[in-house]
This record gives sequence, C-alpha cells and structure tokens, in this order.
Amino acid sequence: MAAAGSAIAPAAGSGVRSDRLERFVGQALALLLSMVIALALGSILIVGYGENPIEVYSAILDGSVGSVDGIGYVLSIATPLIFSALAVAVCFKGGMFNIGVEGQYFVGMVTASWAALELDFLPAPLFVLAVLVAGMLGGMAWAAIAGILKVKTGAHEVVTTIMLNGIAISLLAWAINFPLKFANAPPGQNVDLRTDVFSDKVRVGDIGQYFGVTPGAHLSWLLFVAIGTAMLVWFLLRRTRVGFEARAVGSSPGSAKAGGVSIGATQIRLFLISGALAGMVGMQQILADKGYLGAAYITLLGFTGIAVAFLGQNNPIGIIFAAILWGILSRGEVALQIGTDVPREFIIILQGILILSVVITYQIAKRRLAARQLQRSGAAGALEDSTAFDERLESTGSQDAEEAARPSDGGGPG
Amino acid sequence: MNDGAGGVSSPPLVTLERITKRFPGVLANDAVDLELRTGEVHALIGENGAGKSTLMRVLYGMYPADEGRIFVRGGAAKIGSPRDAIALGIGMVHQHFVLVDPFTVTENIILGDENEAVLDMSEAQRRVSELADSYGFQVDPGKPVEELSVGEEQRVEILKALYRGVEILILDEPTAVLTPGETKELFGNLRKLCDAGKSIVFISHKLDEVLEIADRITVLRRGKVVGETRPSETSKAKLAEMMVGRPVLFRLEKPQVAFGDPVLRVEELTSEGKLNGVSLEVRSGEILGVAGVEGNGQRELAEALIGLRQPASGTISLDGRDITGRSVQDIRNAGVAYIPEDRHEQGLVLDMTLWENAVLGRHDDREFSSGLGVLFIRKIKELASRLVKLFDVRTRSIEVNASTLSGGNQQKLILARELETDPKLLIASQPTRGLDVGAIEFVWKQILEQKAAGRAVLLISAELDEIYALSDRIVTLYEGRITGEFAPDAQPEEIGVGMLGGTEQEVA
Repeated sequence: MAAAGSAIAPAAGSGVRSDRLERFVGQALALLLSMVIALALGSILIVGYGENPIEVYSAILDGSVGSVDGIGYVLSIATPLIFSALAVAVCFKGGMFNIGVEGQYFVGMVTASWAALELDFLPAPLFVLAVLVAGMLGGMAWAAIAGILKVKTGAHEVVTTIMLNGIAISLLAWAINFPLKFANAPPGQNVDLRTDVFSDKVRVGDIGQYFGVTPGAHLSWLLFVAIGTAMLVWFLLRRTRVGFEARAVGSSPGSAKAGGVSIGATQIRLFLISGALAGMVGMQQILADKGYLGAAYITLLGFTGIAVAFLGQNNPIGIIFAAILWGILSRGEVALQIGTDVPREFIIILQGILILSVVITYQIAKRRLAARQLQRSGAAGALEDSTAFDERLESTGSQDAEEAARPSDGGGPG
Repeated sequence: MNDGAGGVSSPPLVTLERITKRFPGVLANDAVDLELRTGEVHALIGENGAGKSTLMRVLYGMYPADEGRIFVRGGAAKIGSPRDAIALGIGMVHQHFVLVDPFTVTENIILGDENEAVLDMSEAQRRVSELADSYGFQVDPGKPVEELSVGEEQRVEILKALYRGVEILILDEPTAVLTPGETKELFGNLRKLCDAGKSIVFISHKLDEVLEIADRITVLRRGKVVGETRPSETSKAKLAEMMVGRPVLFRLEKPQVAFGDPVLRVEELTSEGKLNGVSLEVRSGEILGVAGVEGNGQRELAEALIGLRQPASGTISLDGRDITGRSVQDIRNAGVAYIPEDRHEQGLVLDMTLWENAVLGRHDDREFSSGLGVLFIRKIKELASRLVKLFDVRTRSIEVNASTLSGGNQQKLILARELETDPKLLIASQPTRGLDVGAIEFVWKQILEQKAAGRAVLLISAELDEIYALSDRIVTLYEGRITGEFAPDAQPEEIGVGMLGGTEQEVA
C-alpha cells in the first residue's frame, strides 16, 4: 500500500467476466456434485432394501417426468412451492427466518376465499385479480404481526411466527365453521366442512389441456405467475433499493445503519413482501384444484418452502429449479409405491439427504471460490491482511477441535 | 532488556531455512531465513502483505512450505498441522481470538485438551490458577469469557498455549486490539515469559512497540528478509524505511488554513452514562483531535454525532442548524461524513461487492436510484470505478466482495465513499486502526486535505501520535467529559493528565 505511486490499475473487463464465469461454473458443478452425492447415498439405502438403485431411480423419473401427465403433475406441485420458497428467501436475505409462511398462507386462503365468495359482481379478470390480491393481503397482514413484534418489541420472528402458525390454523377452522361456511349443504350428501363452491369466473384456467396434460394435474397459469414472481423477486433483491438495503441489513446491520438504512423499516418491509408471497401459496389449491376452501386443505407447503429455499440457496432462479426437483421427487413417490418394494418414506429421506448435500457442497464450493478469488486478487496485501485472510481463507484450511468451537473465527491456536 | 537471554552464542531454538511459499500469483515468502533463540522476543515486522503471517503459519503447520526446511532444537522438523507444531512446543495466538464466549476461562483453556471423560473442573481450575500464577498473569479462571476485556481474552489465549506446554509462542499483531494500558501489561507478561525461558515471535507493524519489546528485529518486505537488527542499533525512521522501501514521513506538513465559522457545535451532550455533558466546537478548516484512552465515550460521541445513537440531552448543531436526534440519513444529507472506528461493523458490508459498498449511504440519491427504487447500476459502477481509481484501492475489479480487500484498501474505499459527498464535517473515528505505515500515511494525507479544502474534521483517536500529527487543537475525553483543551504543541505529559481525568483548570 505504501508504494502508492506505482498504482496497479484495477483491471476491469476480462477479469470480471472470468470471475463471474468461474462463479457460475463452480456453482453448477457444486449442484451437480451434490446431486451425485445424494443419489449415491440414496443408492446405499436402496441396496439395503435389496433393490436395484438404477431401477428405483428410473421408476421415480418415469413416474414423474416420464410422461406428459407426469410433467404436468410435477409442475403443479412446484407452483405453490415456488411462492413459498420465495417468501422464505426474501426474509432470509434480510437476515430473518420466516417460519410462518405456513400460517400466512392459511390466512391468505381465508381472505381469498372471502373475496371469491363476496366479490362475485366483478367481471372475471378483475375478480380473479381481486381474489389474488385478497390472498396476498391476508398473508401480509399475518406476516406484519411478526414483523412489527420484532421491530417494536424485539420478539424473535422464529418464536412469533411459530405461534402465529397455530393461531392461523384455528382462524381457518373458525372461518369455514362460521362466516364462510357453505350456505346450502348439497342434499343427501355427507360433505366435509367447507365454503360454498366458488363461481367459475374465479377458477384459474387449466393450461394443461394445451399441452395434453390431464385435467387431474390441475396445472394452471399460476405456474407462470410463480416463475414471473421469482424473476421479480430476483430483480427486487438485486436491482432495487429495497433489496439492496435488505441484503445490507442481512449481512451487516451496523454498516447498513451507519449508511442511513433503517433496520426496523427494512425488516417490516421484508415481512410484508414475504407475507404477500406467502399469500399466493394457497391459491393453486383453492382456485385451480378444489374451487372451495375445505377442512381437508393441503398443509405443510410453508415448511416445505423452507427446504426448497435451502435447496435453491435462497436464489430466486435457483428456487424455480429446486421446486421442480422437489415436485419430481414428490411425484415419484407414487411410482415408487407401485413399482418397487422401497417404502415411500425413502423419498423423504432422499429429500433430506439432497438438502444436506446441497447445503454442504455449496458451502464448500463457495469457500473455495472465495479463497481462489482472494488469492487471485493479486495484491499480496489482500492475501495477508488479517481480516480478509483470517475470516475467509483460513476457514477453508485445516480445522481442529477448538476451531470447530467457533468456526467462523478461523484458525485457532493450540 | 534489549539483550535478553538470546545471546549470539546460544544455539538457535528454531531455524527456518530458505522458506518459500507461493500462492497463485503471489510469492508470499521468498527463500526466507530466520533464527529464533531461546528466551528472546523476536519481532517480525513488515507491511501488510510482506509475508510475516504467512511465514509464521508455515512454522505453525497451517501451510506447507513449497521449499525450505525447518529445524527445531537442532533437528529437522516436519510440521504438517498445528497439532504437530504444538507437539514440538510451538503455539500461535491469532489476531482474532478463538474462544467460546459462555465458557469460563478454565473451560476454554482445557477445551480440546481434556484428559478424561468426566471432567474434574475444580482440579482443572486449580491447575489453570497455578499456571497463571507461575507467570504472574492476572486472570480469574472461573469467569466466563464473555465478561472479559479484550486484554484478558488475549491472556486466556496465551495461557491456552502455555497449558499445552508451548515453549515457542507466536503472537500475530497482539497489540492491534489492545488499549495502551493493556499493551503495557502484555509487554510485562511477555517479559516474564522470556525470563521463564520461553521464546516469542512478535508479529507487528507498530514500530514504537517493536523497539520497546523486541530483542531482535527481522524486517520483511514483499516476501523477502530485508534485514535483521536490534533496537539499540536502529530507529523508528530506519525501520520504517526498511519496511516500506522509501523514507516515511512521520510528521506531515499541516496545510495552513484560516479557520472559519464553527461548523459543528456540541453542547452538554449526554448519553446513557457514557457521555456526561460533552461540549465542543469545530470550525471550518480545523481539525479537532479528541484524545483519550479508549472506552471513555469516544465511540458513543461519534455515534451520537452521526445519528446512530440518540442523545439523552444536549444539542448538536451543524452550521447553526440543530440536528440533534435526527436520523443518520438526515445527518448525512446535511453534510456529515463518517469514518467508523470499526470498518467491518459500521463501514462496509463485507459480503457485498465493491460497487455496492461504494454507494451505501447514497443509494437513496436520485443520482443512483429512481423514485420507485430501481438502482441505476451503471451509474453506481461508474462511481465505484472512479472512487477506486481516485483513492488507489488495490483490487482486481469492482465486482469482488469487499471482504477480499486488505484492511488498508477497505479503509481507502470507505474514505473514498465518504469524502466523495463533499461533506462539511468529517467525523473520523480511529481512522488508522490496524493499518500499516504506508496506509496510515495515506489516510493522514487525506484528512489533511479535508482541512485544506476548508472542511471541519473531528478526529477521535486513541493514538497520541495521530492526534499530534493532524490536530490544530486537542481536547481530552475522560469518562464522557471533556477534561482539557490543548494547543497542538502541548507536551504529551500535559495531555496525558487530561486523558486520565486530571485537572480541569485548562478547560476553555
């Protein structure tokens, strides 16, 4: 640094591009590797059951993406998961863990159902839009409680959202028991507790028919909305002030604050966005699939969203693929039961292994890449500077027991 | 002291022979020879990036050397891991401590070295006490580490090494995190260790300290040994020239600027028991140095001024306009720039790119984002490229994360960002902490340039050197109060009295 005269001009252009390329290739390889590891570990289990791994895996693939109908089902399963994982990722980028997507989408289904029953007078396109907005507002309202509690009282969002999830279940039960309960029970039938069936005007269109997918898959244009939303979220995080501030708050609250960013406002804003995304999670099932909100609604999409977000490394585009992969595995479960002796729980184990191996290989790949870029940043200054070096490079080095005690701090003395 | 136990005749305890270590694109150590003798403090000095830490990490088994040999106690040693190093009696204390906060001192010391499944804590505690006493270390073995001061934590790290039977102790920039008082205590402890026959490698770039503690000094520059000397044979200026490769000015020429109207006026500022009625004034073209032992309200003062901390009472005005209790954004917009004492905590977002960091704090300007909140990426990158060039931030590109920069370059980036806004007032809090000689000179020049440009500068520093080098007027801060005001040519002893609370007769 001293010889400031002989400035090394910061290289632009090619260096940047190679950095990006390296990062992209590195991540792609990490993903591939993690899949291979997961499949290999899964194979061990399969062999333990006395089955042939190749046969089992091809049964899963065959049952999911082996037919047009199968692909339809996979994408239909992926649709709500994309929204759910995005909701998780948005909070995560801001350093918060929204466990409450589950409850937020329950509330979103209630408010959307209310709109679907009450706003019948609107013309069809406006009606659908109003219902979707109502769903998002419901999710937002529920998430806002957690956000405000966090900012105003310091209550941790993990605790509050878990509790709000419980309340949301009861809220939904109350809604279909009382205000939204069907007016006219279909005569002579024993039906579940539910709302009236929504007007056809508000049912989102089945797009499966255009691709030869069975209507049973309930593939709807909500899939495109989900993909579009993922791109929007990417834009939001990378290209807007809101996302910029969110990421700054998420990785260094002190520096963000000193830069004039309001931490509290950012956190509430993120919870509102996350809640709106969560509000979209239930739309596939009430508008595309069932056409009403009943007691037998699909649960756990919020929690699965956490897994999918991890699988997609909280990257909006990665989440699209992660959700589809999740859909393949979920759909493959059916084929597994029919075609093999491997129990269906194997899929759950495989999903778990997959998440673990993705998270681990990604972490390793990230560190390797960071270390390489650090080393290549040329100026030996960067190499040996205590902070950059200790925290980044050294954490990739040898670790013994003591270092493991506080791994983020890098190397430890004996 | 300078001629401790390490007489020339005693055989070397450790010999490094032509150690070469390469990283891709960087020759970190280039055929380095080094000898460590029993009972000496051997200082290893050089700028950041000179290769001192790399060399010691090779000795500690963290990196394999590409070439060269290591001899310990006369025998060739193969050190493949820190475990091997410890077995040979070599221990290293890193700049960033590796302690488990909720654990007690004893628990931290025995961690990783527990001998039996069921721990006899009282026995362990007794042994730790004995160990500490035998070297005269002040430490309470039953206290949780989270309640310790930084200096005490460092003592625990050293004890941890001693507990494992270490004879050779490598200390990586041990004083970077210490207050002057703690440094003094550390030096006392190091002397005791040497008297007990331990040998110490002291990595540093603080020349005054090296001259005070070292028996021998080896200077590295760009991976090579440029010389070996003794404190009695050298001087600060000579050492600096060896390190940097050119003469370094320890006193920069202060530009002569007529002081203007008061820019910052603080009256009776109080905050949570940390500030107890601070009043001060800084005029345009003036650098006011706030001297004081750390922990006397410096951090709180800086934070209150930039709006990170709400004062309990008192007023802050900028150019006559009351800005008390305003948000950081408002205060920044009013023309205040801030160099935080902790670059990582309050300066940069390490996980974000240089260009993102370059705009932090100004991302709200219509120049860099639209009313709807979409960032103008091209504009921001132009800004970043300009700043990087202007302040000679050494980096391969503006696309890399701020974490890849060296400390000096991180500080340059912050300076560039903060000064780009043409502020009326610059608050510089410990602006050269952890930087090496060359980088310090750069930062000082920049601060003096602010003065030359007629801006007001509030310089808060624990380094008296720095206060003297830059200030037009000096005040001392003690327990949240201004305890004295001094001319820039006041004797250090006078200022020292103010720093310790002393008399208030000189308060203006």
